[in-house]
Amino acid sequence: MLFDESTLRKLNQLTLVASRVRAGAIKGERRSSRRGSSIEFADYRDYTPGDDLRRLDWNIYARLEKPFIKLLEEEEDLAVHILLDGSLSMNWGADEELKFNYVRRLAAGLGSIALSSGDLLTVGFLQGGQVAAEFGPTRGGVAMPRLFRFLENLEPAGQTDLNKSIQQYSIKPRRAGLVILISDLLTATGFESGMRAMLGRGSEAVLVHVLSPDELEPPLAGDLQLVDMETNQVQDVSLDGGLRRQYRARIQTWIQSTQDDCRKQNIRYLNLITDKPWDQALLLEMRRAGVVK
Amino acid sequence: MQFLTPLFFALAALAIPIILLYMLKLRRKQVQVSSTFLWEQLLREQQANTPWQKLKRNLLLILQLLILAALIFALARPALQIPTVASGSVIVLLDASASMNATDVTPSRFDSAKDSVDAIINGLNPASSLTLILVGETPQILIASESDKSLLKAALNQAKVTQGSADWEAAFALAAGATRSDSIESTVLIVSDGGLPENGLPALPGEVEFLPIGSSNDNLAISALALRATETTPQLFSQVTNYSDVTKTVLLSFYFGDELFDARQLTIAANSSESITLDDIQNTAGVYKAQISNPQKNQKLDSLPIDDTAFAVYQSSASRRVLLVSKGNLFLEQALASLPNIQAFRALPAADGSLQIPKDPFDLYIFDGIVPAKIPNGNLLFISPVDNPYFTIGTAFEQINSAEVIENPLTRYLDWSNVHILKAKKIQTPDWAETLVQAEGGPLVFAGQTNGQRIASINFDLRESDLPLQIAFPILFSNLTNYLVPPSAFDATQSLSPGQSLAIVPPPGTQQIVIASPSNIGYNIPNEAGGIKFTNTNELGYYAVNFISKDKSSAEYFAVNLFDAAESDIRPRDSIQIGQTEITHTVTEKIGQYEVWPWLTMLAIIILMIEWQVYHRRQLLPKRVVS
Repeated sequence: MLFDESTLRKLNQLTLVASRVRAGAIKGERRSSRRGSSIEFADYRDYTPGDDLRRLDWNIYARLEKPFIKLLEEEEDLAVHILLDGSLSMNWGADEELKFNYVRRLAAGLGSIALSSGDLLTVGFLQGGQVAAEFGPTRGGVAMPRLFRFLENLEPAGQTDLNKSIQQYSIKPRRAGLVILISDLLTATGFESGMRAMLGRGSEAVLVHVLSPDELEPPLAGDLQLVDMETNQVQDVSLDGGLRRQYRARIQTWIQSTQDDCRKQNIRYLNLITDKPWDQALLLEMRRAGVVK
Repeated sequence: MQFLTPLFFALAALAIPIILLYMLKLRRKQVQVSSTFLWEQLLREQQANTPWQKLKRNLLLILQLLILAALIFALARPALQIPTVASGSVIVLLDASASMNATDVTPSRFDSAKDSVDAIINGLNPASSLTLILVGETPQILIASESDKSLLKAALNQAKVTQGSADWEAAFALAAGATRSDSIESTVLIVSDGGLPENGLPALPGEVEFLPIGSSNDNLAISALALRATETTPQLFSQVTNYSDVTKTVLLSFYFGDELFDARQLTIAANSSESITLDDIQNTAGVYKAQISNPQKNQKLDSLPIDDTAFAVYQSSASRRVLLVSKGNLFLEQALASLPNIQAFRALPAADGSLQIPKDPFDLYIFDGIVPAKIPNGNLLFISPVDNPYFTIGTAFEQINSAEVIENPLTRYLDWSNVHILKAKKIQTPDWAETLVQAEGGPLVFAGQTNGQRIASINFDLRESDLPLQIAFPILFSNLTNYLVPPSAFDATQSLSPGQSLAIVPPPGTQQIVIASPSNIGYNIPNEAGGIKFTNTNELGYYAVNFISKDKSSAEYFAVNLFDAAESDIRPRDSIQIGQTEITHTVTEKIGQYEVWPWLTMLAIIILMIEWQVYHRRQLLPKRVVS
C-alpha cells in the first residue's frame, strides 16, 4: 500500500505546514511585472472610466480631489513541475527502502505542499524516451486525492532516456517555474541536456538524486555475474574487499561529479538515501537545500 | 636429496584440470542489481591497472596449485641423506636400569638414550626395520621388526626407566631371537651406560654395536643398611660407598619413621666404602631410613639420587618367644626346636616342686602336666592339663577308640588314624573353644580364645600315647603353635631388590591384603589359601602391607633397596665385552635418510588454511554502514 494511513497522516501534516512553508522560493525573488489584485501595494495610476471603483484610493481622493487607482501587486502562483524517473532501476531496494515507493511518497509530499499553497502542479512520469503519464496542470487542495491515485497507478518499467523525455516534456507549452527532477540517474545517457532545455525556458531546477543503501554499499561478495535489471546486461565481477572499496570510492566520486555538474548549471542538487524517512527528507533536507521554505 | 617414490610426480598432471576449471571460471552466481552502469565504469578503470591486480584475482588458483605442489612433493617422499649408526634390520637394546636415572647428562641418561634412539628411527631407511627391546628387570620387546616411524616413535615414548637392575642375559636371548627371525643381515645396537655383566653374556649373531651414554662417575650410594636383633637392643648397620674418583664428604642421616635421630658426617675416599653401626636404637618395630646428602645445604650430592636413600624394617616379633614349663619332655623340646622363628625357653620346677615363672613376658607358655600358682596372662598351651581357672578337669577315661578329627584350619593335614592313646582326661570343651579331636569318651584336643588369650589343650599325657611317634604330632604341634603365636606374615629383616618377589602368609582371618607402594599406589589383593606372592616391587622405598579381616586390620612393612654395586657404579664405559669380543663406541659410518614429507604436509595444511581464509574473506558480506 503506497499511501497507507501513516503516510497519509504525514502528508496531512505537510499540508498544514505548507501554509507556512509556502512552496514559493522563486516567488519572492521574481516579482511579476503584471499588476494584480492582491493586498500588496505597488503603485498608483490615473483613474480611467471603467476601472473598478473598489480599487479607487478614497483617501487620496479626499486629499487631492483627484481619483487615483491603487495598483496592487499581482501574486503570481508558481508552476511546479515534478518529473519522476520511471525506469526499472527505480524499482530497487529492500522493502521500506524501495526507491520507487520512496520517490512516489516524496512526489506526493511535494505535490500536496504545492497544491495546498495554491501553486500550479504538473507531475510528469518519464519512461523510455517520453512522458508516459502526466498529472495536471492543476491547483487547489481538492486535487490531492487525484494526485495520490495518479501516483499509485504508476509502474516503473524499461529504461528511461532522461534527456529525451525531459525534452519531450518541455516541448509542450508550459509555464516556467520550479522543475523538480527525481531520479536515481542510473543511466548511461545523462540528464544535462534535458535539464538545460527546461532551464532555458526560465525555470529553476532541483535535482533529487535518490539511491538505496544497497547501491552505496552492495551486499555482494565472491565471484558473481551481475545482471542489470533494466537492460539484462551482464557483468562478471570477482568481488573482494579491495574491489568493494574501489566501488565505494567510485560511487562517491560519481555523486560528487554530478553535484559539481549541477552547480555549474545552477541546478540545486539533493542526494537522498532511501533508509532515511521520506517525510524527514522532505522537511529537513529539502528545506536545507532551499526547495521548500 | 633424493625422492623415494618419484612416480607420484605424475600427479602433477592434476594441475591441468585445476587450471582448466579455473579458466572455465565455473559458473558465476547470477545476482540482479539495479544497474551495472557503475560496475562497468569501475571495471574499465581496473583493467587498465597493474598486472598485480590480475595476480590478486588469481590468488586462489595460485594457492591451490601450491597446495597441490606441496602434497605431490610430500608423496614423492624427498629424503635428505644423513649419517646414522645403523641400518638394515636393527635391534636396539635400550638400557632401562637404575643407573640410567643418572642426571650427569641432561635431562637424564635415559632421556638422552631415548633421544639417540629417536635419531636412529629418524635416520632409518625405508627398507630397514627396527626392533626395540627395553632392558629392565624383565626385558620387554616394545615393538618388533617395524618400519613405520610413527609406530616406532610411539613405542619409544612408552619406554620408562626402572629403578632396578637390568637382566642382560634375558635381553640378549630376546635379541638373538629377533636376529634369527630376520633373514637380512641384522645389527644389534646396545644403548647403555655400560652396566653390563663383565662376562657370561652369549655372543650375538650379526653385527653388534655399542652406543655409550653418560659422562661422569660422580655417585655415592648407601650400599648397605640392615638391622640385626641382639640380646638387648637391635643394631643398625649402614655402609656408604663412594664410586667417584675424588674423596667426598657426606652427611649420613638416620630416621625412625620421619623422625631424625642421628646424623654423622663421613669422609669417604675415592672408590671405597665407610660403614657405621648404631647400637643403642629403640626396640620398637618400624621403618628406619638412612639418607646421604651434601653437607652444604641445597647442593646436589651426586648424579644418581635414587641410591642415596635406603630403608630397613625392624620386626620385633620376628622371633617368637616360647616358655616350656615341664618336668622334662624330650618330644616337646625337639618339636619346638624344629619350628622356625621360635626362641624356646624352658622352666623346670624346683626340687621342692615349686615353680618359678620368669617375669619377662613370653609369647606362648606351654604347661606340660603342671601349672604355676599364678598363671601368666598370655597365650597358653596345656598338655595333660591340671586344675586351672579356664576349665574344669574330670576323671580319666579310656574309651579313646575311633577318635575323630573335626574339620578346622588347625587340623589341616592331620591324620589321627594311627594314633593310640592309653587314657585321657575327661574335660568338657568350654564355650569359647572348639573341639579339634573328639573321642568316644570326650574331647582329646580343643582350642579357642577367651579374654584376648588364645588357649589350647591336649587332654592326655604325650608319654601315654604314641602320638609323638606319628607324623600327626609335628603337624598338630606346628598348627597349634602358629595359632597361639602367629608368625609374622613375611620376613622383612632382609630388604628386597627391586623386582624381587615377596611371599606373604597373612595372619588367620585375613580377607584382603592392601599393599601401598612408596609412591602410594595401592595394590588390593584378595587373600588366598597358603598366602600370596607380591611381585610389584619395582619402586625403591618401603611398602606398607595392610591385612584386613572382618573386625580388625594390622600393618607390616618391608623395604626395597637398590644395594647394587653394578647400578650404583655409574662410571661410563667405553667398551663392553660380549662373548670373546670387545665392542667399543660406535662411529657413525652409515648413511640414513631423513624424510621431510611431514614438513611438506604441514606446509600444505598451512597453505590450505590461508586459501580458506582468502576465500572466506571474499565471500564475506560487508557490514551495513549505519548512517
